[in-house]
Amino acid sequence: MSEANIELIAPSQMRRNWLMLWRQMPLSFRIGSLILVVHLLVAVTGPFWAPYGYSQMGAGPPLSGMSLAHPFGVDQLGRDVFSRVVRGSWIVISLSLAGTLLGMLIGAIVGLLSGYVGGWIDEIVQRVLEALISIPFLVLALIAIAAAGPEYSGNPVLLVLVVALVYAPRIARMARTAAIDIATRDYVTVARLRGEKAWSVMCWELLPNATGVLLVEFALRAGYAPVLIGSLGFLGFGLRPPTPEWGLMISENRALLIVCPSTVLGPGLALASLVVGLNLFTEGLARVLGRTVKLGTQ
Amino acid sequence: MTMLALEVSGLSVSYRQGLGWRQVVEDVSFSVRCGEVLGLVGESGCGKSTVALQLLGFRHGGLRTDTGTIMLDGIDVLTLDRVGLDRVRGAKVSFVPQNPTTALSPGMRIGEQVDEILVAHDLPTGDRARELFGLVGLPDDAAFLRRYPHQLSGGQQQRVCIAMALACEPSFVVLDEPTTGLDVTTQEQIVDLLVDLRARLDMSMLYVTHDLGLLSQIADRIGVMYAGHMVELAPTAQLFSEPRHPYTRGLIAALPRLDEDRRTIKPLRGLLQRDSLPKGCPFAPRCDFALTRCFDEAQVLRHAGHGHQAACWRLAEMPPAAAPAAEELPAEPDHCATPPLLTVASLIVRYGHGVRAFTALGSVSLTIGKGETVALVGESGSGKSTLARAIAGMVAPTAGHIHLTEAELSPLVKARSPSQRRLIQYIFQNPDASLNPRATIGRSLSRQLDFFFPDRSANAMEQITAALAEVRLDAAYASSYPDQLSGGERQRVAIARALIAQPELLLCDEVLSALDVSVQASILQLLQRLKSELGIAMLFISHDLAVVRMLADRVYVLFRGEVMEFGPREAVFSPPFHPYTQSLLEAVPVPLKKRKPARQRTVTSVDIGTGCVYAGRCAAEIPAICGATPPPWRETQDGLAIRCHHTLEDLLKRESGLSRGGLEKS
Repeated sequence: MSEANIELIAPSQMRRNWLMLWRQMPLSFRIGSLILVVHLLVAVTGPFWAPYGYSQMGAGPPLSGMSLAHPFGVDQLGRDVFSRVVRGSWIVISLSLAGTLLGMLIGAIVGLLSGYVGGWIDEIVQRVLEALISIPFLVLALIAIAAAGPEYSGNPVLLVLVVALVYAPRIARMARTAAIDIATRDYVTVARLRGEKAWSVMCWELLPNATGVLLVEFALRAGYAPVLIGSLGFLGFGLRPPTPEWGLMISENRALLIVCPSTVLGPGLALASLVVGLNLFTEGLARVLGRTVKLGTQ
Repeated sequence: MTMLALEVSGLSVSYRQGLGWRQVVEDVSFSVRCGEVLGLVGESGCGKSTVALQLLGFRHGGLRTDTGTIMLDGIDVLTLDRVGLDRVRGAKVSFVPQNPTTALSPGMRIGEQVDEILVAHDLPTGDRARELFGLVGLPDDAAFLRRYPHQLSGGQQQRVCIAMALACEPSFVVLDEPTTGLDVTTQEQIVDLLVDLRARLDMSMLYVTHDLGLLSQIADRIGVMYAGHMVELAPTAQLFSEPRHPYTRGLIAALPRLDEDRRTIKPLRGLLQRDSLPKGCPFAPRCDFALTRCFDEAQVLRHAGHGHQAACWRLAEMPPAAAPAAEELPAEPDHCATPPLLTVASLIVRYGHGVRAFTALGSVSLTIGKGETVALVGESGSGKSTLARAIAGMVAPTAGHIHLTEAELSPLVKARSPSQRRLIQYIFQNPDASLNPRATIGRSLSRQLDFFFPDRSANAMEQITAALAEVRLDAAYASSYPDQLSGGERQRVAIARALIAQPELLLCDEVLSALDVSVQASILQLLQRLKSELGIAMLFISHDLAVVRMLADRVYVLFRGEVMEFGPREAVFSPPFHPYTQSLLEAVPVPLKKRKPARQRTVTSVDIGTGCVYAGRCAAEIPAICGATPPPWRETQDGLAIRCHHTLEDLLKRESGLSRGGLEKS
């Protein structure tokens, strides 16, 4: 609503309004979005200004620790960890977003339809979702990767699909709850009374009114996706070396934790700040979108 | 000089809005004498509840008291700190909330909830809870005290809330719409209780409500609020006979009344627009008497007679209001000649199975003629909405048939043809929930067109404009979203959405209940116009008998899913009455009608399914017959049918034995 008002007002006024809007936002939203903007800037521009290539060896004396030239130190193979973190940023972010987006798409459609249609279809869908959720997510991811076969191991597309598979059932449950709530509203009854099919009710009535819940759910899941991808990388089921994926880097350097902690600390800090930023942003977004939106449990 | 129980002077309250503060109550002053009941009336958003909560020293981060004092027993409530407030609340001033269901803690026994207050004020508990329950007319046995709130009816829950408010014998009780969520017959009993308590305990009360008619039954004086200002303050009788402020006059003129056979009411012009209130009188933009001076000069309460004050500088120029001239009623067409549009035959709706089955509708038959308005009245739970839902195809009936003109309608909407779906349109009670908040008004309307007239969407915009014009809305509304509209406008849009389908039958499910009096009047006018101009038939569901009397051609009275009485409007609203209809009519508060105590209705257990469903609550019950055998239908020449064991002569006699005040036909 506030955006609609802003369009009608002169530009200088508009800037002032944006500033006012910014100040009205919850603190967590402001901090979170600042962290995210920094991450996005690094992800997009990083490859152009990172001092070394991601697999460029001989950047400095191996395991030389933190210095001005190598903020995160140099790893065993003489690669600059900072450059690797910077160049790996877009990989982590784009994989997380793509995976979450796909999971969201599937989860929202399944959940909204199942919640709206109800009856025995809903029962069956719910049991299947519960079965999927009852498997610990890492185990589920590993089963999926194992099922895909060794020839797809390290394929980024597989990783995106795995993230989607882990998230879709969880998102579907949230979407179903929202759909059950929205389906009791009178405008949905009006749509049903004029004979609309479940699919068009979902597109026109349910989805637009569930965006608040879904958006928060998206941000929340997206914040956790880098951790999931990182964990898979750490376990050796993610991307292949020398890809500068953060989880993989932590895994590679974990033996050096005592000798040269900065090589683990660097990608770890990057991952942590991204997750914290996303979570703060999510929490703020939930408050902005209205107090009625409830955050789902992990 | 009588003692003052409470004195409020110069109270101004603001709410936080965005970055600033908005004043919602401005310079309100009034006093309540000991033992007096002051009514506070006004439309939603006029600040009446804010004032009421301030009397208890309500504080909140988003709320600020700018100026004013509230003197209660020599203490200024507004200056008290938290500890001081804890001591005053409950002991000196207490509160009865609007919704007893949410006011009582669902996980706590009601006896304990009363004790809790006593403990908080260091009073001995002992038998006090039982004593209080006896006082408010609840059973006071130990088993009842151990009940949970959900085991009580709405009326009983409100009685518990009142008992809690009285626990520490406060001198002042604030009641915030205590009967708004209750049925009219339950409301009558609660009002009786309050009148009785007041006489016995010599309490002072502030009674906040939007219902002027109700206030006339209980208040000594009435304060009328508009946009945060007190615009008139007068003794009750005087307010109704000689309202002085233009707003009060408008409110009274907009009130549908059961005691007058008026079929037209005059709604207030325009809408309360908080963003563009003038410097001067807040009512000026909507006032028929406004001059330029009104917009510039702030108004204060002026003397307008004994104990009568009004905030209008033109008081002297305006003579006391005369009764609004009765307008010519349009001749009513005869609906009986044409074949019926809709026939409902022995419809039964049952929920659940086996022993736990609940019969929502037990064999209801009903006909609606072309262009006829049929009203369904009854308490909540009488099956009114279930019937409308079954007709619309939302609920599958257990047995029975519904015919639209000649064709039988399938039980569920999915199986009906598009044209059958088009001909019956449903309008909901709550306009906030009936429009998709994420779709523009134009989209909501065009969606109907896409479905019902798929080949004519080329001139969709014209049709939308025409439909909006039909409900007196500008074409510009098509591009706005529901949250930019007021409740009345939303209800108009909901009606336009039904009209654009070119229906033959509108199912209006309590369409006026969620609206303010003046808005209600304008929607009522709209419905009357649709009826006479477009000749659309309506099934009008309402618990408000005054409104039904203004709109309906025929009336069906429902009780627990069964028709108790039906017939032409005038026949239903004049004797002989079914005992149930009579209790409904008597419960409607009519301004200035002498109140008489509600008849004692004891609910005895009746074997449901054998006799009359109303047995056990009926004041005219014949022992051993009513509960055992189903009552016969008794019909008069003018088409009235009453289902009762008493003969029509008996019912007429019963009627004449009781004085019915203003209800007699004029």
